[in-house]
Amino acid sequence: MVALEQLRYVRLVAGDLGRAADFGQRVLGLEPIDRTRELATFRSDFRDYTLAFASGDHAVQSVGLEVRHSDDLDAALEGLRRLGLSAGRGSAEDCALRKVKDMIWFADFTGNRIELVVRPLNSGWRYFPSRDAGIRGLADVILRSIDIEKDLSIWSGILNAQISDWAGDAAYLRFDHTHHRIVLFPATRPGVLCIEYAVEDVNLLMRNYYVLRDLQVAVLHGPGRRPASEQLFLTFAGPNDVHFSFVAEGAPIDGERRRPRQFPAGPAGLCGWGSECKIAEFNDAASGRTRRAETIASAKAQR
Amino acid sequence: MIKLQDVCYVRLGTADLDGATSFATDYLGLEIAHRSKDAVYLKSDQREHTLCYFAGSPADQTAAFEVRDRADLEAAASELERLGHRVRLGSAEEAAPRQVRSFITFEDPTGNKIELVWRPAYGSRRYHGERDAGITGFSHIGLCTTDAARDEAFWTKVCNARVSDRIGDAALLRIDEVHHTIALFPTDRAGIQHINHQVATGDDVMRSFNFLSERRVPMVFGPGRHPTSSARFLYFEGPDGMVFEYSSGVREIADELLYRERQLPFDAKGFCEWGAKPQIREFRN
Repeated sequence: MVALEQLRYVRLVAGDLGRAADFGQRVLGLEPIDRTRELATFRSDFRDYTLAFASGDHAVQSVGLEVRHSDDLDAALEGLRRLGLSAGRGSAEDCALRKVKDMIWFADFTGNRIELVVRPLNSGWRYFPSRDAGIRGLADVILRSIDIEKDLSIWSGILNAQISDWAGDAAYLRFDHTHHRIVLFPATRPGVLCIEYAVEDVNLLMRNYYVLRDLQVAVLHGPGRRPASEQLFLTFAGPNDVHFSFVAEGAPIDGERRRPRQFPAGPAGLCGWGSECKIAEFNDAASGRTRRAETIASAKAQR
Repeated sequence: MIKLQDVCYVRLGTADLDGATSFATDYLGLEIAHRSKDAVYLKSDQREHTLCYFAGSPADQTAAFEVRDRADLEAAASELERLGHRVRLGSAEEAAPRQVRSFITFEDPTGNKIELVWRPAYGSRRYHGERDAGITGFSHIGLCTTDAARDEAFWTKVCNARVSDRIGDAALLRIDEVHHTIALFPTDRAGIQHINHQVATGDDVMRSFNFLSERRVPMVFGPGRHPTSSARFLYFEGPDGMVFEYSSGVREIADELLYRERQLPFDAKGFCEWGAKPQIREFRN
């Protein structure tokens, strides 16, 4: 079992790097770090960067997680290949681009690219935001999953993630004292569904709500409170079909004794305030459309 | 000095008693305590009733405050008469449906109808709302004022209210530890400007925001947070244009000696620290 230390970064492919970078700085209020013709990275906390937009032929969407040693990478690689997944070691160039010492990558059963990294760069200087959004740091990532069960075999079979709760078939996964760092959400295609940044408290969350309205950013879900994690959330549209959320509060997790609870599928299980939901995957989960699509897909595969 | 103990109830006239009643129960979440042919009495906390809708003119609005003793009632009556207010002692027929032992009526300098009541009834049964709005009780009222300085003097010098904060010239007044029980908003008419019910948590405020929005209840301000009282709030419009507020987390002022009122600007930022902009006439320049 390979121990995950931290969620480190999300790398996104930007169709229009200028607009994506503007979103990172003006809407999210993150601190710009590196900027080249094909790359824009942003800091949100003690980590050198947690969000990268890349353009060009080599740009790929990926989620980066930290493990402690290069040995862990070897063990992970072996396990992943045993499951028949495509996986590989990052080149020196890959590592330099990501500001890490060593890395491997793999694609889960859905096709999401995950990167495990060793010794990612921390910033010696404190985070200085572009606007006072009150961001505390990268909190969690929601990933689309075509086959939750098979993808879970990676997260809880090879990696040390544990299931905190279920909302419908969506699985909240944790590997530290936070309710979740990764969510696998039923979908019909791969990709990062949502990137979530923690803000200080309810006041900052609501202040951001009115700032986003003034900036004419489309709010897709919330403000609301998630029944499972007790997080306050506000989800809005980002560039290139990736959503972003501000989250706050949330119940801490009391270690091993905890038993995963089952919450309803779709908006009913995702918001205890009854907020309007415009996220297709969330609404589909309630209507069972995703599950039907899965059944059809697996029936086709069997044929 | 007229010693007000608490705000007690409000009485609102309406041309559509059935409509007002269904708003108060199905939307606002109050419980019907009792009803007569031409009035409905609604409950929001342990008190027997805190809101009354009666068949009449929507301009006919009254706010009631509780006094401790019958002697306080008599002293208030003579003090008000000395100052030139016309005071009337309520009849037994009027006191019965109000469920009070005795009361007097008068008008404040703006012309707001005020009742001072002695021994208002408490219920033996606890409040159970028509919907799960999380209401913990009727808490404060906004009153219209046509002269902010004059009316502030009336409520703080003739009565026992203290200024907790001011938003522009609008004074937020307390009569106990709660940040404000009366708020005076400068305008060109007499009447009750808004009616506040406290809810248990900020979550209740947000749940009601979605519940009422889905039912097309006009939202006029919020969700937001007042920089003055620190309460999280939501204002919406009820029957006859009356503004109702839910709020949670109102500040309490325990130290009367050290507390100093603050001056806030009369603009959106003075009313909300989250960035909500009021659509309420008396909250705008």
